[in-house]
Amino acid sequence: MTSRRRFLRATGALAAATALGACADERAVRAFWLGDDSSAFDPPEATSIDPVSHVLARLTYGARPGDYARVRALAPSLDGAARAFTEAQLTAPRHDDSADRAVRRLEALSEPAGELFEYQPTLLREQLVSATLLRAVYGDRQLQEVMTNLWADHFNVDISKGDCRWLTPAFVRDVLRPNALGSFPQLLRAVVLSPAMLWYLDGRVNRRRSRDERPNENYARELLELHTLGVHAGYTQVDVMNAARSLTGWTVRARHESTFGIGRVEFDRQAHDDGEKVVLGERIAAGGGPRDVDLLLNIVTAHPACARFVATRLCRHFIADAPPVAAVDAVAHTFAATGGEIVPSLRTLFGTPEFGSARGARFKRPFHFVVSALRATGAETDGGRATIGWLERLGELPFQFPTPDGYPDEAEPWLGTLLWRWQFAAALAEGRIEGTSVDAATLARRAGGEEKLFAHLLGRVPSPMEVNAARASRSTLALALASPAFQLT
Amino acid sequence: MTTFWSNGERDDRRTLVVIFLRGGADGLALVPAVGDDAYHVARPTIGIAARDAISLDDRFALHPRLAPLLPLFRDGALGIVHAVGSDDTTRSHFEAQDRMEHGGAGAGGWLGRFLRARDGGAHGALSAVAMGQEYPESLRGAPSVAVMRSLDDFAFAAGDAPMLRALATLYGADTGALGGRLAPAAHDTVAALDRIAALRAAPLRSRPGADYPDDDFGRSMAEVARLIRGRVGLSVATVDLGGWDSHFTQGTLLDPLMDRLARGLVALHADLGVEEMARVSVVVMTEFGRRVAENASFGTDHGRGSVMFVLGAGGEGGRVRARWPGLETRVLDGPGDVPVTTDYREILAPILRLHGVTEVGAVFPAWRPGGPTSPSPVSS
Repeated sequence: MTSRRRFLRATGALAAATALGACADERAVRAFWLGDDSSAFDPPEATSIDPVSHVLARLTYGARPGDYARVRALAPSLDGAARAFTEAQLTAPRHDDSADRAVRRLEALSEPAGELFEYQPTLLREQLVSATLLRAVYGDRQLQEVMTNLWADHFNVDISKGDCRWLTPAFVRDVLRPNALGSFPQLLRAVVLSPAMLWYLDGRVNRRRSRDERPNENYARELLELHTLGVHAGYTQVDVMNAARSLTGWTVRARHESTFGIGRVEFDRQAHDDGEKVVLGERIAAGGGPRDVDLLLNIVTAHPACARFVATRLCRHFIADAPPVAAVDAVAHTFAATGGEIVPSLRTLFGTPEFGSARGARFKRPFHFVVSALRATGAETDGGRATIGWLERLGELPFQFPTPDGYPDEAEPWLGTLLWRWQFAAALAEGRIEGTSVDAATLARRAGGEEKLFAHLLGRVPSPMEVNAARASRSTLALALASPAFQLT
Repeated sequence: MTTFWSNGERDDRRTLVVIFLRGGADGLALVPAVGDDAYHVARPTIGIAARDAISLDDRFALHPRLAPLLPLFRDGALGIVHAVGSDDTTRSHFEAQDRMEHGGAGAGGWLGRFLRARDGGAHGALSAVAMGQEYPESLRGAPSVAVMRSLDDFAFAAGDAPMLRALATLYGADTGALGGRLAPAAHDTVAALDRIAALRAAPLRSRPGADYPDDDFGRSMAEVARLIRGRVGLSVATVDLGGWDSHFTQGTLLDPLMDRLARGLVALHADLGVEEMARVSVVVMTEFGRRVAENASFGTDHGRGSVMFVLGAGGEGGRVRARWPGLETRVLDGPGDVPVTTDYREILAPILRLHGVTEVGAVFPAWRPGGPTSPSPVSS
């Protein structure tokens, strides 16, 4: 068992370097937990990725200096330490002070939803991307950030469409993050009735005021295809139509139509098709009005295809591009048995032998690559324009994927990004990214030498070939960050 | 396997260069309708007299400052479209640019969607380049975008020989990860870096006759030409030329801009040569045109229809295309603006097809050819 004190030590210390614009008391807190920036740390000593390095790689955006030793100390055995860390991440309180501190200066993002319309869209977009970066780099509850971003792909919204320019920050803050480790049905309901999704997939214009008016099926189709069941789940065009009818009347006040209450979600009974609907063989009685949406969501989330679909996405993200069937079965079982609770589903996932053995074999997506490099080097970053510029080149700007399927979560589409990865590695190591700094010499000294630094970056002792390459390259840090092993997680 | 651009032999890719004139360029200054009496009536002070203008046909002429473009027009390399624009009626710079660059009210920009919709949509590190410091809205949603002023912005440290050799060794030996797909991806990357290094080592020399203006716009155009000639896999380049918001004494504002625009286009054409230009399309566009009548401070206010230029492939060069409504007060739009009789997407659609898009609806989802802004053609 992990004691309370140990738990605090693990998660609190992992918050670490909320280095950003740290005021004196933050520095003191940091020094208390981490020692100061010049303190030594012990990198992994095994020649292959051990269970502790594995959970650090998969449940977080990468190990920071000292993380390995801190997690390793959680239990006598490697497996025990990995389990303790996993449990701590699964059960950490939802509120994350460390991440909040890191994004404090991005003031627009804490405005009430209605107030967001007072801001320039470009400012909101930049602040949202910065905040996503900073939370991933400095947040303590790493798994919550990982899951928030996973749901951002699953429930993709493009900030460039219509009023999403103003509504997306609230979508992430009020819908995705608070529910990221909660209940899938609750998360889904919050998404379906969010102003951002009502805009992005045209739910706001899905109405049927007369028998002649045809509902807009856009959201209903994606609800079934991308958000809950998957395209081959066996639903029909009639199911899509009836799902769309069930959702008619939910709308959001648009900026170009309203002068007050912009962004407010409303149910317009006159625009709702209140007749009987049958979806996936289940009946939604006539006269349900605004309750139709709940009946519809109950039907789809209770469908076995939903458990499998969500389990497949989770297993792809945490295990492999081609998720092992046995793991998907296990996770889907827990998902169904708990009514779609995310934490127990993940607990099952992290306990599968397939998860345990899938080490160092997934290709990091660009955002993950950039964040893991910033974390591994203990970088101080403002998450500002220069860093965002690297995400542009690498092609993964949060909340800017145009189609509703979200950024692909597999290696293939990203294999063409090595050039910018190598450039980023060199730029970071050489301190050429404005607003971001890394002290390479101190980092190597703290790790106990260049080879130990390499071990810290890879989560295992480097091979002789890697050591030789580092020597030949003349910059261990740049080479390690650009090396094949660092592209993998 | 991802097909990664890497060498000249494989990069037979076409390049689309989009020059955006920000601020709302006055189509009637760039290409005045000197053959219409109403033009001279509406612009007694700032109008271009027929004798000063460079005649293109019975009605239209080039502004004298655009005279360098005449040979390109005569050769059929340069096409001009008039009374063209978008369906945005706000006359707001922000709204109109936003709408035009997004290509309607959908998500992402039209160039971003283009890059995902075209056939053989393989995307490399330099497939999409935005010259300057801003990521333009038109490229939102692109698979990746390099925002740069010059290749020299990037100290290609990882291109340093020892680092590159070390990486090549490591990736070359790595056959297990990702089912062996990392090694070929790395091989292509090394080849690409070699190519970029060679480009950077060679002086940025342009062909004889390529006399770029010595300013940001000229340098951007020279850099675009260098990337095209260097065969780095460039599919889209965007270049901005701002400052067209001519409310006040517009001659002093527009004359130098027109000089720069004309010189930049002519230099790019000379630099690339006829053979390269066959696979390059250069589109010049602006968010809206301006009021037909001049205002009291010898400028013009925000309007609707303006001009587009298309240089190179897909340009239907050598003529001015327009469904010309005339400039009599009764035909003007709103407060007295050149009507939009051709939607800009109608001009872009065939160019997109030329650049590998089979389904134009994937790029302009809300647009239908022959929509309300496309009445039957009235040739000029």
